[in-house]
Amino acid sequence: MNCENYQTLLSDFVDGALPAEDCTRLELHLSSCRDCTDARNDLSVIIDFCREQRGVYDPVPNQQAMWLRISNLIEAENGSANQVQAPTPETGWLFRLMHRSFSFGQLAGAVGAAVVIVTMATAFSVYRVANVAPSMRMPDIRTSVGSGATIDDRIRQQQETIAYWNQRVELNKARWNPQMRETFERNLGVIDAAVNDSIEQLKVNPHDAVSEDILNDALNDKVALLKEFSDL
Amino acid sequence: MKLFASDNRTQLKVLSAVFAVVIVLAAFDSAFAQQKISRRFPAPKNVRFELKNVTGTITVETWDRDEIQVTALMDNRKATFNPRQTESGLVIDIVGDNRGRNDVGDMNFKIQLPSRSSVDLETRSGQIKVQNVQGDLVRAHIWTSGDIQMLGVNAARVFASNTSGDIFFDGEFVSGGTYEFKSGRGTISLQLPASCGFHLVATSSVKRISMGPFWDERRMQLLGEGRRITGDVGDGRASVTITNYQGEIKFFRR
Repeated sequence: MNCENYQTLLSDFVDGALPAEDCTRLELHLSSCRDCTDARNDLSVIIDFCREQRGVYDPVPNQQAMWLRISNLIEAENGSANQVQAPTPETGWLFRLMHRSFSFGQLAGAVGAAVVIVTMATAFSVYRVANVAPSMRMPDIRTSVGSGATIDDRIRQQQETIAYWNQRVELNKARWNPQMRETFERNLGVIDAAVNDSIEQLKVNPHDAVSEDILNDALNDKVALLKEFSDL
Repeated sequence: MKLFASDNRTQLKVLSAVFAVVIVLAAFDSAFAQQKISRRFPAPKNVRFELKNVTGTITVETWDRDEIQVTALMDNRKATFNPRQTESGLVIDIVGDNRGRNDVGDMNFKIQLPSRSSVDLETRSGQIKVQNVQGDLVRAHIWTSGDIQMLGVNAARVFASNTSGDIFFDGEFVSGGTYEFKSGRGTISLQLPASCGFHLVATSSVKRISMGPFWDERRMQLLGEGRRITGDVGDGRASVTITNYQGEIKFFRR
């Protein structure tokens, strides 16, 4: 079995529902495969998180009233959609087109015309792409770094991941010994300093590829560090 | 006038004896709180050794025997230590074996293995020292603080990374090999023979990259106002990437 096959067994394995024979094979594989071990750990973290969060949501004060409001909203939206979209036989050209009958010759001519148009459009597009100036080509990731939106988007995406793992770390941090906590905080500070420095550099020079590389590295390192310490 | 009555002297003697016994017991307790375990495992050619530790020192040395000897000195006798033999070699996962426990304490390892071994070491904090390994892979990763020393290493793939602490590499680069060194805050030093050849991408945010005798202005260029140096040394066939967020990068000729 390959890794993909083993990973399909992980869910049952974590639930303790895997037959003993498969369990033994999977454990043997996990002992030698880092990717599958990581997948197992990720799955365990997700299941633990769900178990911890179970039952924290308060019940709705009046469920019957809430369902009535939802039902009314759906009906209102359906009604307005029908009013807007229903074509009248007198005015809808699409309606008239769909309900008109065509001869075989007319249909064959229409298909032929469509094939010719599509072929010409494709050939023209290929010609344009092949002859366009280098500066007009699609920018790769490295050159698009200069735009502030790209960096912000990337940081925002990473921050969401960081927030998730940070929450996991905070849940467990109280159990750590003071020395471990101090070591973790100090090293996280080192990475945060690298993140902040590179962001400052990019504000001054948005086209700075070196700062962008450092920022990417530092954000990835931060996620990895939080992930590693989340199950401590 | 007597300073102590005879009864008082007796009491004093008894108290002294009890105090001495307590001190001896305390000394014994601290001596035996640590546990030393030593195990040997058969090692096929090109064996792969993996160790994932929590905290403590890891020292890897080579020897002429076809076996791996693992010596572990554990602060906490209750910590679990369960080496597993796999098809490719030996795996020790202290993190996995002690998951959910917060009293693992320091575990210091000394590993002796054949020189043609691959070594993959990881710890959350502590020192890592690897000597004379010449297998395919040498990887040393410290998640937080700790120094990494690689001496006499001659492997096709070498990775050394930490967040705080120095990294020192003294070895050779194999043609076509891949070498990555990364630190958050610490000095990365590479001591290489004059004949070595590699393509370099070295980045230091604080602009402190010292190429020493390997600097060649015709074949190297400074980028990002001196925060990055790229270029070839010798035949340029090995790929070397060095990143340091807040520390220095130094090259020395052996």
